[in-house]
Amino acid sequence: MKFATNINTKIDAYKALDSKDKKTFWKELLLNNAMYILLIIAIIYTCAQNPKFLGTRSIVNIISLSAANLPIACGIAGCIVLTGTDLSAGRVVGLTACISASLLQAVTYGSKMFPDLPVVPIPVVILAVLIVGGIVGWVNGFFVAKFQLHPFIVTLATQLIVYGTLLVYIMTNGNNGQPLSGLDDSFKNFVTGSILKIGDVPIPNYVWYGLIVVVIMWFIWNKTTFGKNMFAVGSNPEAANVSGVNVMKTTILVHTLAGMMYGITGFIESARIGSNTANTGLNYECDAIAACVIGGVSFVGGTGKISGVVLGVFLLRIIFVALNFLSINANLQYIIKGLIILIACAIDMRKYLVRK
Amino acid sequence: MMKKRLLAVAMAGVMAMSLAACGGSNEAAATTAAPAAPAATEAPAGEEAKAPETDAPAAEAVDLDVAVFYYTYSDTYISSVRTALDAALTDAGIKFQNYDSNSNQTTQNEQIDTAISQGANLLIVNIVTSGSVDASQAIVDKASTAGIPVIFFNRAVESDEDEGKVLGSYDKCAFVGTDAPEAGHMQGKMIGDYVLENFDTIDLNGDGTISYAMFMGQLGNVEAIYRTQYGVEDADAVLTAAGKPALSYFDASNSDKYQVDQEGNWSATAANNYMNTNLAQYNEDNNNMIEIVICNNDGMAEGVVTALNDKGYNLGTDGSVTIPVFGVDATDAAKQLIADGKMTGTIKQDAEGMANGIAYLAKNVGAGKELMADTGDFNISEKVSNKIYIPYATYTGE
Repeated sequence: MKFATNINTKIDAYKALDSKDKKTFWKELLLNNAMYILLIIAIIYTCAQNPKFLGTRSIVNIISLSAANLPIACGIAGCIVLTGTDLSAGRVVGLTACISASLLQAVTYGSKMFPDLPVVPIPVVILAVLIVGGIVGWVNGFFVAKFQLHPFIVTLATQLIVYGTLLVYIMTNGNNGQPLSGLDDSFKNFVTGSILKIGDVPIPNYVWYGLIVVVIMWFIWNKTTFGKNMFAVGSNPEAANVSGVNVMKTTILVHTLAGMMYGITGFIESARIGSNTANTGLNYECDAIAACVIGGVSFVGGTGKISGVVLGVFLLRIIFVALNFLSINANLQYIIKGLIILIACAIDMRKYLVRK
Repeated sequence: MMKKRLLAVAMAGVMAMSLAACGGSNEAAATTAAPAAPAATEAPAGEEAKAPETDAPAAEAVDLDVAVFYYTYSDTYISSVRTALDAALTDAGIKFQNYDSNSNQTTQNEQIDTAISQGANLLIVNIVTSGSVDASQAIVDKASTAGIPVIFFNRAVESDEDEGKVLGSYDKCAFVGTDAPEAGHMQGKMIGDYVLENFDTIDLNGDGTISYAMFMGQLGNVEAIYRTQYGVEDADAVLTAAGKPALSYFDASNSDKYQVDQEGNWSATAANNYMNTNLAQYNEDNNNMIEIVICNNDGMAEGVVTALNDKGYNLGTDGSVTIPVFGVDATDAAKQLIADGKMTGTIKQDAEGMANGIAYLAKNVGAGKELMADTGDFNISEKVSNKIYIPYATYTGE
């Protein structure tokens, strides 16, 4: 009902406009939704060239590739809402992926990193990655909040520290930088196994984990005081402080939560890829940040929705897969990726420029 | 005499630490800080232990201060070489310091300048930009200006057309590595032989041709280019010689005939994502399944095997269909996959052999001999006399 009246008032408002305003209205509408229009054109074009693009397998593939990227994007989105960013995300994913893999290698595997270690129960490993990710996030948040350092600098520093730690970790116990693989079946089934099939196409379990993460993050962002405080701090820290929001605590918590999300991404990636090296997770933050920005989480601060993040992740992934289906040359793929990010950011910022 | 020398070593150590502290802008500097400290403190002990043997044979024997530059610490194979070389140099009682160039040629050049000014008298370089004469010539020039020898290893310093241009320009330089095309040739031959032997099993849709997928590690890398080219060409040669049709790339509209890791990291992640996307379109239901997979390295092969496992292939059990997957490197993980029947073959790069070759040359320098003295036992390039090849070997299980 509310929705219908909402639409009606909008239609009335539109009718009240004169012809010139009507023209700008359509122009604005087109520009503000340019990403979606482009996406629809891209899907139609890809589908015309290669009908398999919209087959069940392909759709499940896009959903699973997107789901794997959801936790990291949801985490980093919080940092962006605070007008910050997080460059350490990818390396935290790498570190937690290697930790998960080393703890969950099959007992029978020949070059096991900790030969005498039994397969650790999965909940313990999840707890471990949450703690490791959380600690890095806490450090990020603490230095950002306490010393008013720009998150770019803080997370650049922690990125290096985490990478160094990862290199040390992967060299320990005679592993000598070899990929961590030979994962235990229970772990592989937990992440990449399937409890539901569409037709004969299995949906991997990590899609559900991605979904759970999204629901939890949606709840935190929209239904908790912490979530409201986060937006308040993001739009204006001074004002938030004056109105009684603990800015320091909020900043630290946002980063800690983000760190935990990277931990979950690391846990999932570990089993999804099955081979974990010091390079695992490299540059993951770039795709995640791009997805957030495309989804309308603005660097201006204080704006963004979880639904936007999800949309951004899907949009980016659909484009990447489409480029593959169209067999576009790798060189051209870089250019297209860059253009999409540039256009998305420009459209996003335009909204704020118009308001001013 | 002894005291003066100790003082010099200590000074060098202090300088290293202060330099590392100044250059805090990049991570490479941070990694050098750690080895610098122990090097300074351990030096006296090493010096005493070594003194009798180095002083005895010849007057021109030198106390080595070796600087080793790795193109990146994150590379799996290079990590094996690093472990083996660390051990070989420590065993020989040679003082050394490792640098991580972090995939950046500029960083590496700066590190080399730092090391030379610090008093390094032997450079061991795993160049970042492989196959570029300009990059390697710049390093050779730095070494020749300082009058110290340089040993390149693993990554090619010049392309085939320019062979000898850089290595021939300075008498105190050498290369220990592999013959870049050899891995590609060996992989191609292995694939050709395997396909020929199992043609009907591999040809899942029975159309008489084998469709393949190729995963390339990095654009513009000599090793990657040769492996991508010869991995298929040589396999085709074997097949056509036996009257069978050549391999055909699974995606007719892709004129590159490979999919490349866009980050240039030869990563399992990139191969896994590509393979998942490929399998969404090319599978047995559509009767166009990819029938063999060729990868530039084992990391990518592992990513492919994981993707296949998720779709119920290559499980290594009786019921499951196996898509032959081929890699290069023979990492422990790949050997295990081969043993489990999940992967078919790989090409072994001998990390220890390479490390021992480098250490051998370093010992030559330490003993005051020519860099390439007594290297008759090694496999030396026919065209360039200071180029040592560590041979590859086919690996399809023990």
